[in-house]
Amino acid sequence: MLVPLRYNLRSLFVRASATLLTVCAIGATVAVLAGMLSLQQGFAVLFQERGRDDLAVFLRKGATSEGESGLTREQCEILAKEVPEIARTTDGQPLASAELFLAVRLRKFDGGETNVAIRGVQPASFAIHGDDLRIVAGENIRPGQDELIVGQGLLGRIADCRVGDTLRINTVTFRIVGTFTGKGGYQSEIWGDLERLAAALQRPVRSRVLAKVAPGTDLAAVQERYTADLRVQPRVESEREYLASQTGDLSQRFTLLGGFLALIMGIGAVFTGTNSMLGTIGARTHEIGILKAIGYRPFAIFAAFLLEAVLLGLLGGAAGCLLVLPFQGAETGTMNQTFSEVTFAFRTTLPVLVEAIGFAGLLGLVGGLLPAWRAARMTPTQALRRG
Amino acid sequence: MPWKLLWRNVLGHPVRSLLTVGAVAIAVFLVCVLQAVTSGLTRTLSSAAANRLLVQSAVSLFVDLPLSYQQKIAAVPGIEAICKWQWFGGRYEQDKGGFFPQFGIDPDTFAASYPEITIVEGSYADFQRERTACMVGIDTATKYGWKIGQTVPIAGTIFQRTDGRPWEFTVRAIYTSNSAAVDKISLYFPFHYLQESVEQGGAIGPDGVGVYMLRVAKGSDPLAVQQAVDGMFANGPQRVQTTTEAEFNRQFISMLGDVPTLLQLIGGAVLFAIFFAVLNTMLMAGRERTRAIGVMKALGFTDHTTGALLVAESLLLCMLGAALGIGLGLAAEAPFAAATGAFLPGFGFDEATLWLGAGIALGTGLVAGLLPGWRAARMNTIAALREVG
Amino acid sequence: MASAITIQSVTKTYTRGGESLRVLDELDLTMDGGTFYALMGPSGSGKTTLLNLVGGLDQADSGSVRIGDVDLGELSSSELAGWRAANVGFVFQGFNLLPVLTARENVELPLLLAPLSRAQRRAQAERVLELVGLKDRMDHKPRELSGGQEQRVAIARAIATDPQVLLADEPTGDLDRTTADSVLDLLQRLNRELQKTILMVTHDPQAASYSDKVIHLDKGKLGRIDDNRAASGGRK
Repeated sequence: MLVPLRYNLRSLFVRASATLLTVCAIGATVAVLAGMLSLQQGFAVLFQERGRDDLAVFLRKGATSEGESGLTREQCEILAKEVPEIARTTDGQPLASAELFLAVRLRKFDGGETNVAIRGVQPASFAIHGDDLRIVAGENIRPGQDELIVGQGLLGRIADCRVGDTLRINTVTFRIVGTFTGKGGYQSEIWGDLERLAAALQRPVRSRVLAKVAPGTDLAAVQERYTADLRVQPRVESEREYLASQTGDLSQRFTLLGGFLALIMGIGAVFTGTNSMLGTIGARTHEIGILKAIGYRPFAIFAAFLLEAVLLGLLGGAAGCLLVLPFQGAETGTMNQTFSEVTFAFRTTLPVLVEAIGFAGLLGLVGGLLPAWRAARMTPTQALRRG
Repeated sequence: MPWKLLWRNVLGHPVRSLLTVGAVAIAVFLVCVLQAVTSGLTRTLSSAAANRLLVQSAVSLFVDLPLSYQQKIAAVPGIEAICKWQWFGGRYEQDKGGFFPQFGIDPDTFAASYPEITIVEGSYADFQRERTACMVGIDTATKYGWKIGQTVPIAGTIFQRTDGRPWEFTVRAIYTSNSAAVDKISLYFPFHYLQESVEQGGAIGPDGVGVYMLRVAKGSDPLAVQQAVDGMFANGPQRVQTTTEAEFNRQFISMLGDVPTLLQLIGGAVLFAIFFAVLNTMLMAGRERTRAIGVMKALGFTDHTTGALLVAESLLLCMLGAALGIGLGLAAEAPFAAATGAFLPGFGFDEATLWLGAGIALGTGLVAGLLPGWRAARMNTIAALREVG
Repeated sequence: MASAITIQSVTKTYTRGGESLRVLDELDLTMDGGTFYALMGPSGSGKTTLLNLVGGLDQADSGSVRIGDVDLGELSSSELAGWRAANVGFVFQGFNLLPVLTARENVELPLLLAPLSRAQRRAQAERVLELVGLKDRMDHKPRELSGGQEQRVAIARAIATDPQVLLADEPTGDLDRTTADSVLDLLQRLNRELQKTILMVTHDPQAASYSDKVIHLDKGKLGRIDDNRAASGGRK
């Protein structure tokens, strides 16, 4: 025979102030965890979900990111021309674009400098990205011109980025002609003509070749074919794989930091929960005596108080989620692996909420063990006398 | 004030008191750690040397300056010494996941420009003499157990040897630093070794220099030097940006983006949680003691005393918690600093951090004690005595 | 000579559940110093209220309560607290010892309010505990004592500061007959040997028989006063 749930619900309500304070304390803990997870989600989503399987990324062998990579103009041409897996336009041109990638210093609106990824592209780039990349204001860059288009994610953060502004890259002045939206990290980049940017930056080497391939192409086989080639030894992977590897580190750092904080704050929250439940049991000693006198077994009492503690934890979890929800969609920036600024949004997803509330329930459970055990152990005479 | 009663009340509920002290300790510990991170960052700024200027590309962090710049810069009056810094970006073969920075530098000018450094093992002269020698920070040397004379293999990512093998450096000196401006984890090796390897085809990689450090002579104006150097390359081929060491560090810190804000938010949540936890404890204590409060008042204790007793109890619990939390923090400081040294420079508790922890505990204790204390003071004696409990 | 207690046209009204209840109604009563009074009457007749007024735990709506030449109505709440510390001792039905303190520490509690050294406090606490016959149990916590012993500690605490007036609210209400008798004996002895003025609220006629005079209250007014000494020369 178990103690009716109503009893515990009512008890939480009767001791409203203690319940509320404990809920707040657990809530703050859960909010930190949920917050870190939301950041991690926002960041992960930016990359992982946006990478495409039908795009191949060619880097220099041994390089783990565009920043480290370097391919000569000739090497890029060899790859574009020779790799049969690369799709072609109707008039036979390969859908491949050599790109120059560099994080450059730009001024932030709120003062200070940050590194912004600048990408020199070839006209094929726009055909490769297709509808994923759209000009939303102004117009697109023209080949051979000192023109730039700016990803929308940078607009509020970086100075001199609006259509019509001019931006000095090393010694050359470029004109901002348009704004684009793109998938994931592209949102936080500035694009210009490959040759013009290479000249301005005095950088003859390219960072990568991006090419359209048929979905499911065996890219490992492509890489394999060039292992012994003296002209070029690329590292080949799909865009999806490439982007996933780029987020791993930071994503993991958010998870780790969140986990570390949740663990330490969780111990504190368990202490608080235990205290609150001990208080409850102290104040309700008489009631426990009555329940026991009626004939409830120790296990039923134990279960009832443990359940009450879990309920307390779950309420705290709900409070924590309410605390983080207002941040939903808030944008923040950080540096990614290539040391360039990326903007990402705080994303409190359903799994984040479920995890947070589950964690809160666990806190309640752990916090309830000692008090519930104490309650179950009381003898009826003891409990009644001390009432 | 019946002090004995204060103690007895605390000891009368050992579990509750311990849990409260524990919760406060955890909060103080966390706040101190978070604060140590932030203050560590500021300390690297404040301890930066005023006579060191850094010349880097004005375009990008990842663009090198031509080697030919050195001679031109050296012609600027007021510069006592120039030392090249080149980011190597390698990974230790035995711990590819681990990270510590490596730099190619000019051994002839480096030591004199960085008086913060002291050699604790080996000798600087040995390091200076040998092409493939390296000088290692004590923290990294300790972490991997490196000894003088040992050869350490480092795989290059930016600079790759054409024979496909890792670079090898012989440890000739281990240094320590007495300032947050210079970390204790880096590996330094002669820049000319790197340069020769690239020039002779033994390795591939960029052929410039990341940063020129300029030591400004006593009595010369760093600002004038700064302007002269920047002006010299204003029209290319690579524009440069000359900054003080403090500004240079600040740029790196600002790249962490919103991290300080994030840490503050977390700290806020910790405070929020702990305040409610202590308040809850004290309200429970106050409620439970209703009858005792009535008795004390009947005996002739004033409202003031009965209220103050609860405030004092709250303060006592919080101060005990603060002491424990600060103790925990101090114990964790060294391992924490070692673990985070690579990306959080200067992590460490200074006096202000510890005072912050104590101050927070004091504030929480006071505020959380006031409500139940005020209730106790206002409590009607007769009603309190009638209370069953 | 101990101070007399003078109650002049005292009215006290409580509001409970929106209804106002006149607990004491224009009550006039004079009690002599050094006398043991029992206060009897049905529930709600105002016994405890009267006790609280005399003890300065509560103040009258109108009329005056004077102990000796002090008018309690003229004292502020902190002055009342100070006055209580020096002039009255309370014994409650529920014993009301602080559970976290030992017997001696409970007795020392009111002495903290007097200008005494630690040694003096200790000596005084031991003296009164000896008086109530509990010197050998003085380092025990309340829950380690029996009900009768707890009540004796409470009495020791009440007389620790040597007040003239001792107020007891159903002091034997929770005790069995034999234990109750020994507690009442103790009160009687304090009255006879130390000339304490005692005012004891009780339901129990046998408890009342230990007193010198029995005051009967009814619906907030004075009923009659029986003089036990006149009737039988007192018990024993």
